[in-house]
Amino acid sequence: MLLLDADVHESFSGIRDLIPYLAEPYREWIARGAWRGFSQPFAYTSPGSGNRADVRNADGSASVSDYGLMRDQLLKPYNHSYAVLTGYFYPTMLKLQYGLGSALAAAYNDYVAEHWLAKDKRFIGSIQINARDPEGAAREIDRMAAHPQIKQVMLPVVDDIAYGHPQYRPIFAAAERHGLVIALHHTILAVGPFGMGLHYIERHALLPTSMMAEVISLILNGVFDGYPSLRFIILEGGFSWLPHLMWRMDREYRQGRVEVPWVKKLPSQHMRERLRFSTQPAEDLSGDQWMKLIDLMGSDEYLVFSTDYPHFDFDDPEMSIPRSLPDDLKEKIFWKNGAALYNLTAPAQ
Amino acid sequence: MTRHLVCRADQVVGNAVLPVMLGRGKILLTRLPSGEIKAIASRCPHQGADLQHGCLTGHVHSDEPNVLLIDRPGQILRCPWHGFEFDVCSGESVADHGKLRLRGFDVEIENGDVFIVM
Repeated sequence: MLLLDADVHESFSGIRDLIPYLAEPYREWIARGAWRGFSQPFAYTSPGSGNRADVRNADGSASVSDYGLMRDQLLKPYNHSYAVLTGYFYPTMLKLQYGLGSALAAAYNDYVAEHWLAKDKRFIGSIQINARDPEGAAREIDRMAAHPQIKQVMLPVVDDIAYGHPQYRPIFAAAERHGLVIALHHTILAVGPFGMGLHYIERHALLPTSMMAEVISLILNGVFDGYPSLRFIILEGGFSWLPHLMWRMDREYRQGRVEVPWVKKLPSQHMRERLRFSTQPAEDLSGDQWMKLIDLMGSDEYLVFSTDYPHFDFDDPEMSIPRSLPDDLKEKIFWKNGAALYNLTAPAQ
Repeated sequence: MTRHLVCRADQVVGNAVLPVMLGRGKILLTRLPSGEIKAIASRCPHQGADLQHGCLTGHVHSDEPNVLLIDRPGQILRCPWHGFEFDVCSGESVADHGKLRLRGFDVEIENGDVFIVM
């Protein structure tokens, strides 16, 4: 069976890898150590910290940026047809110095093009942007969109202004202009309604609520209506909450449409037509639970398989989705839904 | 088809509903800006609220976030409970684009009298 993996995290070994790609004056800033990159405001408790503990170099050290290791641990054993690179370096997390954020995004995109995309045609690329500089982000999308492996724009979920706010419109206009998918992924700043909680496990369990908030914001503030050909995928944000959100938002729309008449369809219809979800973490559902959930979602075209490699909460393609699911459903999850989203054909054998 | 005399035409005004009883059922009458009288069932098809207590308003529309425009004045009846909107001309739910429908009745005017035709 063909396999498209919608969430694979390439990386660099450190912020200094970006120095050759940075524009001045920011190159000099980073070269002299003015900023050393993001660090998470919590400790990872899993054996390999943020990554699987078996993602290691030959000398036993933790590997964070090695194409060869990714090929041997992921692409080869599972026979990936495509792997969508989604990064985990999101300059939008930089809360000030917007010019630096945009320069870092551009440098990272050039780094990934050279060190990852060029090495394997199975890689699908994502454009990293600084969403706090929407006009700059739009220029970066315009700059990178012509790359033949680029298919989407990463929109990282942070902790302040949700993406339905009018300030972000240039990003959506640019993505639609180039036929790119918008991918929402959490960051180390993503929070629930009462912040991160007191423990990492608490914060991690809250992540779907930040995605729900983004979907609510995007639809009710007119992004789905304003950019009618734009499509969205929620990465690593859960999916079993979708039936609740569809029902809740439809009910809210029926009784409160007068406040948001620029929304022309029931929210559930927008979701069905335009929104997709990556499967990891697949929540260890049984086959029976999967079938009930798909029935409640009202469509078997929402879900796109993902592993989240190399992160610690990796989903194994052969174990995370029950084998008992009907073959046509598995084919949609592992291949057809993602191929349709990214407009891909089966690779030549 | 049977005609039922329910009220005088001059009792029916715009931007308000006039409840009339027909057997055990309540029917609401309203007058559009054009002068035409419309008759609809008083029971909301959602959860059964009495629409007599709702409000008649216009149709709020927009193609641009944070811009609110109104047309079809006096033509949209909002449920007193949940605010669901119904077009008194078509009976359609505005949000559901016709999937939830208010029952409408034919109206005839003769010598200043209003008749419901069923």
